[in-house]
Amino acid sequence: MTTPPAVGLFVTCLVDAMRPQIGFATLKLLEQAGCRVDVPRAQTCCGQPAGNSGDRKAAAALAKQVIAAFEKFDYLVAPSGSCVGQIRSYPALMDNPGWRRRAEDLAAKSFEILSFLHDVMGWRPNGVRLDATATYHDSCSGLRELGVEAQPRALLESVEGLEMRPLNGANVCCGFGGTFCVKYPEISTAIVSEKSANIAATGADLLLAGDLGCLMNMAGRLHREGAATRCFHTAEVLAGMADGPAIGEDT
Amino acid sequence: MSARDDILAAIRTGLTHGRDGALPRQTPAQIAAEAAALLADPDEIRPALSGPDPVAAFIAKCANPALGVTLERLAGWEALPQAVAAYLTRHDLGPRIAVSGDARLDRLAQLPLETHRDTAPDEAAAISVALWGIAETGSVVIHSAPDQPILNAMLPRHWLVVLDETRILPFLDDYAAPAAPAPRNAVLITGSSGTTDIEGYFVRGAHGPGFVHVLLISR
Amino acid sequence: MADAAFKQRAHDALADTNLKTAIDRTTGTAETKRAIAVEAFPEFQAARSRAAAIKDHVIANLDHYLIEFERNATASGAQVHWARDAAEAAAIVTKICTDADAKIVTRAKSMLGEEIGLPHALEEAGIERVETDLAEHIIQLAQERPSHIIWPAMHRTREDVATLFFKDHHPPPEADDPAAMVASARRVLRAKFMAADVGISGANFLVADTGATCTVTNEGNAELSTTPPRIHIVTAGIEKIVPSTDHAMALLRVLVRSATGGEITQYTTFHCGPKRPGDADGPEEMHIVLVDNGRTRMIGDEFRQMLRCIRCGACMNHCVVYRQIGGHAYGGTYPGPMGAVLTPVLDGLAQSRDLPHACTMNGRCEEVCPVRIPLKTLLKAWRVRTWDEGLVEKPLRYGLGLWGFAARRPWLYHLGARMALPVMRLFGRGWIRRLPLAGGWTDSRDLPAPAARSFMDQYRRQQKDARK
Ligand code: SF4
Repeated sequence: MTTPPAVGLFVTCLVDAMRPQIGFATLKLLEQAGCRVDVPRAQTCCGQPAGNSGDRKAAAALAKQVIAAFEKFDYLVAPSGSCVGQIRSYPALMDNPGWRRRAEDLAAKSFEILSFLHDVMGWRPNGVRLDATATYHDSCSGLRELGVEAQPRALLESVEGLEMRPLNGANVCCGFGGTFCVKYPEISTAIVSEKSANIAATGADLLLAGDLGCLMNMAGRLHREGAATRCFHTAEVLAGMADGPAIGEDT
Repeated sequence: MSARDDILAAIRTGLTHGRDGALPRQTPAQIAAEAAALLADPDEIRPALSGPDPVAAFIAKCANPALGVTLERLAGWEALPQAVAAYLTRHDLGPRIAVSGDARLDRLAQLPLETHRDTAPDEAAAISVALWGIAETGSVVIHSAPDQPILNAMLPRHWLVVLDETRILPFLDDYAAPAAPAPRNAVLITGSSGTTDIEGYFVRGAHGPGFVHVLLISR
Repeated sequence: MADAAFKQRAHDALADTNLKTAIDRTTGTAETKRAIAVEAFPEFQAARSRAAAIKDHVIANLDHYLIEFERNATASGAQVHWARDAAEAAAIVTKICTDADAKIVTRAKSMLGEEIGLPHALEEAGIERVETDLAEHIIQLAQERPSHIIWPAMHRTREDVATLFFKDHHPPPEADDPAAMVASARRVLRAKFMAADVGISGANFLVADTGATCTVTNEGNAELSTTPPRIHIVTAGIEKIVPSTDHAMALLRVLVRSATGGEITQYTTFHCGPKRPGDADGPEEMHIVLVDNGRTRMIGDEFRQMLRCIRCGACMNHCVVYRQIGGHAYGGTYPGPMGAVLTPVLDGLAQSRDLPHACTMNGRCEEVCPVRIPLKTLLKAWRVRTWDEGLVEKPLRYGLGLWGFAARRPWLYHLGARMALPVMRLFGRGWIRRLPLAGGWTDSRDLPAPAARSFMDQYRRQQKDARK
């Protein structure tokens, strides 16, 4: 590759506030893969809470903010399948043809971190080691909207010392669903309890996934149930940053 | 306006003044061409046959236990009476069978059996001749006709059906053309009647026959 | 029904462990069987796309095909009726029955019949209604509504069924195992089949070029409901049209695999007009009632693609929400993802505003839908309408408004984050067990405490330090 691609890192609001380490892991991975990375200051949220609640106007306004902040880069990369899924759906929110074109351009170059590393950059972990057993949950948006399924597994395979265990129902929703989990907490709890039982049944030390929302939901339920499973974003493992506190452990 | 006019008008309005703007309206010829094009490459959207030829594929399908059918090959129509008698004995059904009006079944009269035309609601066994077989699914097809009461295939506990193997069509979509014009009732029957309505348990003979026996007449 | 009603029904359903067992059994088996059937049919994905294209073609030319169907059905001797809405449809059917002085009516399961309130209408008219599908027979005895579009009685355990049958079947079943109970229902219903004056069925397809209606069943009850009586009435939604028998076959391949995992139903029957001269059996009259009931409205709005639905039930079998709360909690005729799209059309959005929201948007339903209906997109369209029509609960509305205000002003947002995060950390540093206003989360889950400083805050400091 001649000039390294310019990547705008979209941190996502959840990572920004709840677990910055995932952002730093993503940054590190992108740099390792040979990207020039910038983090535009004019970013907040992709607009999913508004979009999923039916507030099209607010979702469109946030979409325009993201488009304006990121269209100058070769790529937008985020550590979340659901945020990238939302960004890829921006064109449908735009009524004006000019904005729609800009939204389409951005949608075409927006990627979730693991598929970006694997498919676009052809990057593989080198010399990353983690002595643990782990299981992997497919977060729904990444899986079904972006086809993120083989990439994280392939990347994790190159982590030395890591033993992956299959998760029964790995592709079944964990019950997070954004505002769903607080609007219908009872249903959400019933769903995540089935998930946590499946996770516990693997006996793995770690639960890995690619979306912080789902991870917080599963980790929160596992912890409430007294399980010892520790939860990390896949990017943290690949960046060699899974040796510190897991999600919810005192920082 | 009549309900018919209202509904047709609402469809046209929806299609031409709907949220997605006006859908281009097509002429009947264009519609027919588009409909035909949707089926132009049938092999792309149907499974391969489960045998080297339609007869083998049909037999293979009937061997699937989920269908709940038994199949017996006969050398010719002459072998039919013996096979029917043997089936009734094997299943302890008594020397009685309801026989549809097909003339080729008249030869059953040579057996020491009581045969009758009308199938009773609690009939133990009845026999019909299928018009076609379909290899793709292992189905047999009967058409309502003066000599084919539909109830003859629905009421008995044991339904015997004779199928001439020259009548086996490869695929479901090979059936409509030779079947035209449509009879009042065309029934594609695939295995015995069954239900999974109680806790998903599969139970045979829900309303229709619990046993279907195909007598396949070889060429 | 108000917001509280849905939540209450969901709450009750979640508390019912029997229900959960019943749901898991049926949907679990359906999921496994479908997966095996799809695996054995490599052309499945292409067949799905084609099925969607066939349905789109029909909807785009629906007026043409309905007229063609009417012409051919009439030529076959059937009488075609049109109904704008549920009440009109039910009235047409009841009038045919009362005009014929019908005492007993057998009905072969049809969700459209439920949609137009036919069971109730027949009862009002004083006609004895006999449900012949085994599951419908069960829920008729239990005086309930279907909880699934393929297995209407899936919420009932074997023990429940035994209780009902022992009470109502004379003589009672010989034992309480499924086989004995099915045999008992066969016995009880057989007499009704033969005594009925009218048989009512739905239609899986209306075949335009022959005028035939097509029913698919595994039990054989449709044939027994429609052959012996004097009159056969079909009620069908106008979207059930297909151009030809061959098109019906193409849809049948994906329908049956998606519904039960079979390749074809045991009985696939085409009904074309009344008994013909010389025919050994069959009804003397055949009536077909074509029902709109909101469908033409869907053609003109963003829900047009929902008219592709062939009622296979796969979306609910694969829905995490349905599998927790079952069908009755949805409160409409149709449950699960397809019901969440259809119920607002049929019952009004105000009555069913929760349904499009009670979904995690995980997309598994549209991944399995045999006609590729973008269910998520359609549910989102309903969410937009609930927002625009002020049907979203106030606290959420205000909360989101505040969030949106800040999120559109990055400087304010980042400042807010700097100030808010330490406050949240007052409730805990590792795990937060209880947080005011966040009971929805913390009642059942611990919440990881946020970071002391946000990513943007830390990153900016790093950049500053690096420049020094
Ligand atoms: S929406 Fe799709 S999956 Fe659901 S019942 Fe209809 S056709 Fe089947």
